[in-house]
Amino acid sequence: MRYSLLLGSLLLVPAALGAQAIQNPTLRRAQAAYDNLDYRQALSLAQAAQRERLNGFDRARAYEVLALTYSAMDSILKAVSAFKEVILLEPERDLDPNRTSPKVLSAFSVALTQVLVVRQLRVDSTDFVGGQGEVAIRYTVTQPARVVTRVTGGPAPIKLDSAAANGQVNLRWPARLPSGDPVPAGNYTVVVEATVGQNNFSASQPIRVTHGAVDTLPHLVSLPGYDYLPESEIPPKSWKPMGLALVYSGIAIAGTSALSQGDLGSASFREAGVIGGGLMVAGFVVMLRKPAPQPARGNILYNRLLREQLTRRNAEIAQDNIRRRQQVALRVVPLPRTGGGR
Amino acid sequence: MKAVFALVASLPTVLSAQHGTVGAHVAFGDYREVSSDLRYRGTGGGLAASFTFKKLGIEGSVTGLTYDPIAGSSGTASFKATQLDVRVRYYIAGPVSAEVGFVNRKMKPEFEAQSVGAVRFGARMSYPLGPGVNMGLRGGMLFGSKFSGGGTVSGIGALELGLNMAVDALRGRLRLTGDYDFQRIARTTNGGGGDVPVPIQQALGRIGLAVAF
Repeated sequence: MRYSLLLGSLLLVPAALGAQAIQNPTLRRAQAAYDNLDYRQALSLAQAAQRERLNGFDRARAYEVLALTYSAMDSILKAVSAFKEVILLEPERDLDPNRTSPKVLSAFSVALTQVLVVRQLRVDSTDFVGGQGEVAIRYTVTQPARVVTRVTGGPAPIKLDSAAANGQVNLRWPARLPSGDPVPAGNYTVVVEATVGQNNFSASQPIRVTHGAVDTLPHLVSLPGYDYLPESEIPPKSWKPMGLALVYSGIAIAGTSALSQGDLGSASFREAGVIGGGLMVAGFVVMLRKPAPQPARGNILYNRLLREQLTRRNAEIAQDNIRRRQQVALRVVPLPRTGGGR
Repeated sequence: MKAVFALVASLPTVLSAQHGTVGAHVAFGDYREVSSDLRYRGTGGGLAASFTFKKLGIEGSVTGLTYDPIAGSSGTASFKATQLDVRVRYYIAGPVSAEVGFVNRKMKPEFEAQSVGAVRFGARMSYPLGPGVNMGLRGGMLFGSKFSGGGTVSGIGALELGLNMAVDALRGRLRLTGDYDFQRIARTTNGGGGDVPVPIQQALGRIGLAVAF
């Protein structure tokens, strides 16, 4: 158990110092002593380094070496006390749970609950149409506190939220002025102030708001998935023309026979035969010919409905585009922070 | 002046709703009178015109034929027949139209055959066989028949039957027509010894070419 704690502490050091190098020589020697598991030497050198002139980073590292050394020496209360100083100096400081021993993590967690800081203030980068979207803001408060969130930098500070909070807080900001208009383009700062009794802490995140034109929608020439159908269709070939010609000619010849006067002898069928024969030839030719396209009533109605839908949709798009031209597209981008919270 | 403007303004609409044809035809026929012994056959030609406006249609034709007695007929001399047909048609519903009109047939020499004039009432069924091909079947009765040699016809004694076809060509500008017309008139005369039947029967075929506009 002790071995794993030491190994974990060893592994933590490169991660802690990865971004920036220690400037103070005494602190460097303290770090080296800790790396060599010489905790007594590391403790005395870290305490000596604290009496020297240190920059902010080195001061935080000095407390961290102390905290890790106290943890390794099972002086948990002192380790917690040192971690509290680390957190106050670097509120965003976090330990990698995969590379840090549980004992150290436990001390760090206890330290977090004993100081009031606002950590991990994040503003998501986003694009939206003014009045139709929101900017997501989140942060973590380490102790139950009265937390006020403001946006400064505009004509007047905008108060987003004021509530008692603890742990992670999620907020949504519509980026609008009290009048309802979108906030003017420019640089702003999201400020979170946490207060418990006499203790207070604030964190900030600068953001940039830019304005742009809202995209308009193109007019539709067709509805996706719905195609126009042919408004005429060629019916299949049929015997009907020939049959009708035969029937009509037959009626004419039979009628002639029936109506003819008996006293005048048998009727002459030459005339009816010539005309009826011609009619049957015409019917036969029509039967062989490709039928003329006939209006497809169902398709005509369907196309009419489709055209009406398209017209209606384009009218809606035109109305929507008029509205969109009066709107403004907001882009909110978080900017790099210049310093920590206090 | 306003009426002229209104007429000019409405002219395209009026013209689009009307159709007309003018053409000529050749004719061939069979004519019988009194008995089966008096039988003639003839050929000839004529002119025809038609005009359609919305539901209303009017047709007229003049046909001249020279009838010759056939072999074995008791007739001895040929004669000329000139027949005027007029029909006014009104569309009713479906394929059915009603027809009224008159027929007038004059014979030369006058007493070789009976000249006749009558008013006709009837109906026509028309049906389009295909693009540009139409056919029709008509039937009707002749009323008020008058004959050059006198005589009468009972109420349903004069009947006619017809079959016609029209084939459009050159995108409807030219029309090939065929027309069959059969008439049977049960004429009777009274020479003092009672009614004597002297029927008249004609079958007439016409094949023509018309220009449509």
